[in-house]
Amino acid sequence: MSRTVLYRAASFVLALPPAYLGTAVLLASAAALRPNLLSPFLLLLILRQAAPLGFAAIGQSLVMRCRSLDLSSGGVIAVVSYLLTSGVMPLPWPLALPLCVLFGALVGAFNGFLIVRVRASAVIVTLAVSMILSGTVIALSQFHAVGDAPEILREMGRARVAGVPLVPVLWIAALVPTALLLRRSAFGRVLDAVGANPRAAGLSGLPHLRVVFIAHVVSGVMSALSGLMLLGFVGVGNVKLGADLALNALAASILGGINFGSGRGGMLGPAVAAFMLVFLFNFLTSLGLGEPGKLMLQGTLIGAAALAYCLRHKDAAH
Amino acid sequence: MTTKTPGRTGLTRYTVGLPIVLVLLLAATQADFRSPQNLLNFSGQIGALLIVALGQLFVTLVAGIDLSVGSVMSLASAIAATQAHPLAAVALATALGVAVGAANGLGVALAGVHPLVMTLSTATFLQGLAYVVLPIPGGAIAPALGAAATGQVAGIPAPLLWCAAAALAASLVLRRTRFGAHLFAVGGHPRSAYLNGVRVQAVVVGAYVWCSVAAAWAGLFLAARVSAGDPALGASYALESVAAVALGGVQLTGGVGSVAGVVAGVLSLGLMTNGLNLFGVSPFMRGVLTGALLLAAVSLQRRRIVGM
Repeated sequence: MSRTVLYRAASFVLALPPAYLGTAVLLASAAALRPNLLSPFLLLLILRQAAPLGFAAIGQSLVMRCRSLDLSSGGVIAVVSYLLTSGVMPLPWPLALPLCVLFGALVGAFNGFLIVRVRASAVIVTLAVSMILSGTVIALSQFHAVGDAPEILREMGRARVAGVPLVPVLWIAALVPTALLLRRSAFGRVLDAVGANPRAAGLSGLPHLRVVFIAHVVSGVMSALSGLMLLGFVGVGNVKLGADLALNALAASILGGINFGSGRGGMLGPAVAAFMLVFLFNFLTSLGLGEPGKLMLQGTLIGAAALAYCLRHKDAAH
Repeated sequence: MTTKTPGRTGLTRYTVGLPIVLVLLLAATQADFRSPQNLLNFSGQIGALLIVALGQLFVTLVAGIDLSVGSVMSLASAIAATQAHPLAAVALATALGVAVGAANGLGVALAGVHPLVMTLSTATFLQGLAYVVLPIPGGAIAPALGAAATGQVAGIPAPLLWCAAAALAASLVLRRTRFGAHLFAVGGHPRSAYLNGVRVQAVVVGAYVWCSVAAAWAGLFLAARVSAGDPALGASYALESVAAVALGGVQLTGGVGSVAGVVAGVLSLGLMTNGLNLFGVSPFMRGVLTGALLLAAVSLQRRRIVGM
């Protein structure tokens, strides 16, 4: 009797996305090797540091659920950083920040339009858009050097609500409505239907193209928001600010149990995976590994987690 | 719409026309472009990209993508810079390509990991390994390798010969061998390929091995040209090879592509870089123009599938 309970518990844990087990293993090894990483103060800081990736992963997981992909966040963040730090947009922050978010939405809409209407490949479209945006920023930076981030963003990066940094609170505030949207709304249902089988969704008269378009707009907005956060943390503008964010968000989504078009996985998985990745980076740094060792372990661990998860689900499918 | 479908080659008048237009434009306006020295430089500049893009073609034909080619190139150049004997460098780099390709291929074909994630994790690992093998740019490349990449054979510059050899090899494999036919079959419809007796997993692994070996040789070629190793040598080549392949009409959804298309795509990218230099345009604008070209190219190839 108790063995079946144990067995069930074990298979339940194993069926979870790799992010949960990975985070548990990481926390346990940190407890053994670097216990001070687990102090509430540092954990909250790591949580804060993970928020930009978490926001990007929300957008990335949405587009992945409907079999698309968004690699444009690096370009969006480069432009946001340029607009806010080079003085080309001399506006007060209540205007400037929403304009940046609007810019993200516009880029997402442009991506969505090309993917949905022109039926271009999402990988190529978003890659090309990212190249155009960051290339433009690099070319323009010759004329306007990037400077300090607006005070309000740095303030937001530092702010605390009852001892808890504000940024993770914002992250959770963004997660709850998107998770509800996926679970409870018609949009979420159509999204899953499109992901499971785009042709069937189209033939059933569902607005399958509009859903993909909306997912890309949301992803663009999320990229802009994570750009604002990164800018607040770093304090100065930088062209390379979000360069590896898109691919990390992709890894976070997959490790969080999102699969291209299976309808599997929720909003919590990618969020946990984002925390796991950032905790992993910090843990590897605290172990005193140089950059090479860090990269090697990081590659191995992400690959191993994805392999283990996929192999298990392959067995389940047969 | 009555436009002719390009079939499985993916060649359209745009993919072929673009490099021709660029050549005519440059030849007409820039006297420097026509100089033999510039043509020699040009074949050297595009050589590495052509070799790695032809490898990327094999992977995209089976609906995959390989982001690890850049790291493989970097690691191969690091290996070349630490090996005194040219044959040892070539053998080690080739072994590296086979090992990486097998790892990627098995992860994708057997475990079913998405190619983006699988190759991204190997790319991260190999980038770290490249920094271990060669922490800073430098080292010495065996003179024989340098001669092979920069010399001349019967008056023809060696880079041009390497380009031709790479294109010929890829073309022969795709058109004349069973493996080539199976690549198209698997990319077009894996399930029907399987039902018709194609060993789908073996074909996918083969495509990734081919791609990684091509990347390793491209790394050797590049290292031999600049006669030094560099652990970050190939960083830009992962996305650039995907861009070249896409410009050449290859569909990332698999089953559609050709060597001629990839050559056209690499020529377009190379001519653009060369032209920007000749026109004195800021090199920073290169990314912008590449992106714009890519957008135009993919917008002209309408597909039925929405998404990836």
